[in-house]
Amino acid sequence: MNTQATTADFLPRLSARSADMFLRADPRSLYEWVVQQRTRLIWFCVGLIIVGSGTYGAAVGVWREPLQALYTGIKLPLVILLTTFGNGLLNGMLAPLLGLQVSFRQSFVLVLISFALASFVLAGFSSVALFLVWNTPPLNAMTRLSSPEYGFLQLMLAGIIATAGIIGNVRLLPLLGRWTTSRAIARRVLFVWLATNLFLGSQIAWVLRPFIWDPAGETRFIGREYLRGSFYETVFEATRRLMIKQEHDS
Amino acid sequence: MNELNPTAGPIPPAIPTPPRLTKPLALGEDPADREPISGPLVAVEAILRAPRRIMYQLRQPGSGRLITAMLLVSILCSLIYGLVVGTFSQGTQLWAAPAKIAGGLLVTALICLPSLYIFTCLSGSEAKLSEIFGLVTGLLMLMTILLIGFAPVAWLFSQSTESVVWMGVLHLIFWFISTMFGLKFLDSGFSHFKAKTSAGLYIWVMVFILVAVQMTTALRPIVGKADDFFPKQKQFFLSHWNESLNAPGKPAGQ
Repeated sequence: MNTQATTADFLPRLSARSADMFLRADPRSLYEWVVQQRTRLIWFCVGLIIVGSGTYGAAVGVWREPLQALYTGIKLPLVILLTTFGNGLLNGMLAPLLGLQVSFRQSFVLVLISFALASFVLAGFSSVALFLVWNTPPLNAMTRLSSPEYGFLQLMLAGIIATAGIIGNVRLLPLLGRWTTSRAIARRVLFVWLATNLFLGSQIAWVLRPFIWDPAGETRFIGREYLRGSFYETVFEATRRLMIKQEHDS
Repeated sequence: MNELNPTAGPIPPAIPTPPRLTKPLALGEDPADREPISGPLVAVEAILRAPRRIMYQLRQPGSGRLITAMLLVSILCSLIYGLVVGTFSQGTQLWAAPAKIAGGLLVTALICLPSLYIFTCLSGSEAKLSEIFGLVTGLLMLMTILLIGFAPVAWLFSQSTESVVWMGVLHLIFWFISTMFGLKFLDSGFSHFKAKTSAGLYIWVMVFILVAVQMTTALRPIVGKADDFFPKQKQFFLSHWNESLNAPGKPAGQ
């Protein structure tokens, strides 16, 4: 009897049927998929991101109208994929410099896996998001950016995405351990990838606004005026204005 | 695979993990260090994944080819990143920014090279000038290829914002992160020179950063627009930064 079985013998061919196995994120299975079925894994993750985050985006966008649901359903996966591709080169360079011996393609796949896991979680939250949107007072002429319902939806969107992102990254940590004996290196690389993806992702999301609703006009894929300015400049300006106002008040 | 009973059947083998090293080996003791570096692309791969290969090859006869290759990669990468910087202001900056960034980096390295050699000798090391020059070109190459990694991010921001100050700060952050990795490579290479102290290297690092930052002021504007290629007024970088921060609407260098 042949007992010399390899780990790959225990793995099914990656397909929609093995989605539950992917979600369990067993480091050994994921490692084998990264090494032996990389191209298939890339397409699997891209598909999962499009379907998972797209479903969630559509659930949020439907608060305004079906067209906004379609746009948000396209834009949310676009943010994730553009962030992954935009930072692919940088993440691939930083990993070996920080001590993780992964190739460019492997680092790209690893980041994609974490986003795919997050998108899977988002897909799971889509029904919750839809329920919350259904319970939110509908959008009308009286709705303003300062309206509580708008603030509630914004917070919900951000909160659920943050939760999904954290889960995706936490699940990636044991997998990174497959390429290094040092847990500190794995943590460092994960932190740096998280920082770079957050930095670029915030700006891409800023450019691709609106996701929920554009009070300035008709439903559009991207508001032309939103192509100006950056997320960080706006945050900096808002903080500065706040500080000046506080100085005046005191 | 039995999905109902996952414990049934043969147990998969454990994935081998690399052994934990207790003390660093001398250059060349590990056979991987001695792998030849045949061209610029291999040099890029080596400096990211196995910098010891570069350090070892710099000590071998005929290291001039490797140094030339690293220098050419540095120039090419800095020109590409410069082009991304130039897309912010467009026009003449599309060629002026690449020229200034590539030229500025090379001049900075040349200005600082003698002091690094002197500090290295003072620290008791027996390193040759060619090895030091090789390490500095390695620093430049690592810096500039990392800048290429940052280029898509820089491009996105340069298309979104109109603030010269914001773009200047962003490029400085990217340059600083890249330089830190480059200096880490230099420090690692320096540790193989059997120097008695690293104090000289740390002083040189400060000198290098100051010269590089002053170079951005001496060659201004790199991000914004101006009528002249070089500024007419001489300025210290701190006063230039202060001026730019207080006049956010005014393009740098004017």
